Amino acid sequence: MWRLGPSGLVVKAIIAAIVADGLMLAFILLRRTYRKRYFARRDARVYELRQIWDALISGQIPYATWRRKAFDRRIVETIALDAFDAAGPEESARLLKFLRTSGLIEKRIFEARHLTGWRRMRSLVALGRTRAPEGIPALAEGLRDSRLETRLAALRGLARTACPQAAEEILAWIGESGLTVPELPLQSALVQCCAERPQLLVPHLKNMQGRLREVLGRVLGEVATPSMGMDLLQFAADDLDELRAAAARALSQSQSRHAPEVLIDLSRDPVWFVRLRAIVSLGELGDLRAIPPLMRGVTDSNRLVRLRAAEALLGLKQDMVPIFEQVVGTHDRYGLHAYLTALDNADLRQTLEAELQVTTRVSEEQRMCLQRVLQAGILDSDARLEPESIAESPVGHR
Amino acid sequence: MTGFLNIFNHALFWYYLASNLAYLLMLVVALRTTAAHQHRLQSHRLNWIKEAPLAPAITVIAPAHNEERSIRVAVRNLLELDYPQLEVIVVNDGSADRTLEELREEFRLRLVRAIYVPEAQSAQVRGLYRSEIDPKLMVIDKEPGGSKADAVNAGLNSATSPYVCIVDADSILERDGLLRIMLPILDDPDRVVAVGGIIRVLNGSEIEEGHLRRVRLPRKGIEVIQVIEYLRAFLIGREAWSQGNMLMVISGAFGVFRADLVRAVGGYRTSAIGEDFDLVARLHRHLRQQGVAYRIPFVPDPVCWTEAPSDLKSLGRQRARWHKGLLDVLWQSRDMLFKRRYGRIGWLALPYLWLFELIAPVIELGGIVTIILAACMGALSREFFLQFLIFGYAFATIISIGSVLQEEITYKRYNDWQDVVRLVSYCFLEHFPYRQMHMVWRLQGLVQYLRGDNTWKPLKRKGLESAGVR
Repeated sequence: MWRLGPSGLVVKAIIAAIVADGLMLAFILLRRTYRKRYFARRDARVYELRQIWDALISGQIPYATWRRKAFDRRIVETIALDAFDAAGPEESARLLKFLRTSGLIEKRIFEARHLTGWRRMRSLVALGRTRAPEGIPALAEGLRDSRLETRLAALRGLARTACPQAAEEILAWIGESGLTVPELPLQSALVQCCAERPQLLVPHLKNMQGRLREVLGRVLGEVATPSMGMDLLQFAADDLDELRAAAARALSQSQSRHAPEVLIDLSRDPVWFVRLRAIVSLGELGDLRAIPPLMRGVTDSNRLVRLRAAEALLGLKQDMVPIFEQVVGTHDRYGLHAYLTALDNADLRQTLEAELQVTTRVSEEQRMCLQRVLQAGILDSDARLEPESIAESPVGHR
Repeated sequence: MTGFLNIFNHALFWYYLASNLAYLLMLVVALRTTAAHQHRLQSHRLNWIKEAPLAPAITVIAPAHNEERSIRVAVRNLLELDYPQLEVIVVNDGSADRTLEELREEFRLRLVRAIYVPEAQSAQVRGLYRSEIDPKLMVIDKEPGGSKADAVNAGLNSATSPYVCIVDADSILERDGLLRIMLPILDDPDRVVAVGGIIRVLNGSEIEEGHLRRVRLPRKGIEVIQVIEYLRAFLIGREAWSQGNMLMVISGAFGVFRADLVRAVGGYRTSAIGEDFDLVARLHRHLRQQGVAYRIPFVPDPVCWTEAPSDLKSLGRQRARWHKGLLDVLWQSRDMLFKRRYGRIGWLALPYLWLFELIAPVIELGGIVTIILAACMGALSREFFLQFLIFGYAFATIISIGSVLQEEITYKRYNDWQDVVRLVSYCFLEHFPYRQMHMVWRLQGLVQYLRGDNTWKPLKRKGLESAGVR
């Protein structure tokens, strides 16, 4: 029964398997030996180059002495780029000058334009790490590569330069090619590059459609500055939820006198994340007109909106008792829970207890009610306040 | 009788061949994709992501049960992880020891009324605490739920981030582990719904203050064999399955999930024996039923180091439990088999697990019995039997050495020559008698499941504080 096949075949299979085992073992052995020697050699060379580093980057040692040797050139470039990542402005300028005068940047630009595949990607990464403005055109060309990885490397490289020229290149590219990379790296790159001139986004936001417009909207929300006041206001009424949310977020930075009114409108938006952004921004503005919408936010149907509204109320630096009284007066258990959560998170419970002890704004009976609610964390029939008492409270009049 | 033995042994030969060829194919796929991953990493400089303002927030959930010896170190380790927006939730799952007190003292916890929406099933929560030292830390103290799933669900109910990372409190996550595991999500947040990281054996390595100082191979042979098993399972198996978007297991010790989806499927199933496998299977089911495009990738470089059992009894218990979990999930998912709507999961991944994982110990046992019977009846060709044994041995060794090779050319964590020699040696030694013991443990798991014995017995562990003592 075991004579199920030609025995010779199994013998050949055994030999093949044993040879495969042997080859893999030999590969592991040889690779280890090679790497050990390579790293020892590299380590020794790094040490030597480190000893003469200042002379090397100042040009006292002619660049030709190390540039022609690929081994040395790779080490020098690695050391310089690693140092560049951690350098302050003065050291960065010195290193950039060295990278320019030694021709390393030009070499990387050439490689980024003429190589393909992983090698092009590596050049784009290195070029991005230099943050040299002259690398921007080559990086922008990389955005048009057919491989996603190369496009991403170019995008990240442009992000490192963090300058408006890079933003213009990215915006022009997405204008012609659409969304051909994942959203997050694109957003991150635009946030970094548009931080200096967020106005660059506005014309594109007006012209673009769909997902791209959403992406730009989110970027705008991150980089908007007070100087964009009027531009932001027009997006607050946009059809796109993302853009309204972005406008709501950006308006927290706005000094426009219309900002609180627009945010109060947005706090009634049917979309929860627009309301969330508006509530957070209202809290950041610290305007007292924000109290009624924030109070409404505390009773919102979305738990995050409730929590952020409660946090914003605590952040207003107002007397806490009247606000707590209003929260209790909403008769909303979820709202109360959100407020107490925010209170505990901010470690302000004892402050509120102390204020409740000394306040003269409420009657003794009301004070007892509020203390019971604060301690028990629930609304009971004894703790409920009559609506009139809320209307009469100081905050209620604001 | 001879006819039956003949057919069975024919089938056994082809079964064995198919199983090893499948693994060989996976090895080739894994070698190729890992090389591509290494190239890809060059364009992701991790410190750039660390500074990315739009990186999605993540909540790390670490369930802890009677971890008083290691909890301080473990939580400190979690709080030091590199990630721009991080929240850490430690769930004290009704510990009978001083786990909560240790946390209170170390992190100055105070009781708070944080948001807790019981969307996923979990035992009663006794209290929620926040740290006065580090606002990122929240501790949930709850009644014992009897399962890790129950504790993770409690964390899930309190998590406020769009992504949750489930880790074991007694494991060590490498500092950049979160950044690395989030790379597929950052690249494709619309489609990537979960990511699995790699688990490695901590035994034998040197630890200082909760950080891995030096990776070393364990001393005991049984632990070294587990190192090879982990390398084979993760660097070959999961890497290859994830290429076809058929990853069925994300280890409970380290995985990232989209929180809304985990909530949508009801969180972890508290009655599941292999809760990690069960969750991924239910995610596949849910997403395939919804007809959405999704990906569940595996990333081979974010490493979570965990303590493996160091004695046969604990190891046997662990493996029996894993096999029970496998049967439990496959049985729950049996309606997905060969259904068009479940695509490659129903046509390839699940059948593979049934055929080459679940019933493998039964077939192995059948093979041993028929060989003995054939020998007794004088129908066994000694020549061919010997050839089959040698071939099987050499072929299985290819896969094991392949996993060591994969480790060598990519991550190379074992730098010591001595360690590599021992690792390779055990690739030859693991087949006898470890493999046979493993078969017995898995059979025990099947029997226990069929008898309805689903009790969980804790494994004997040394804890983080002592793991590095060499």
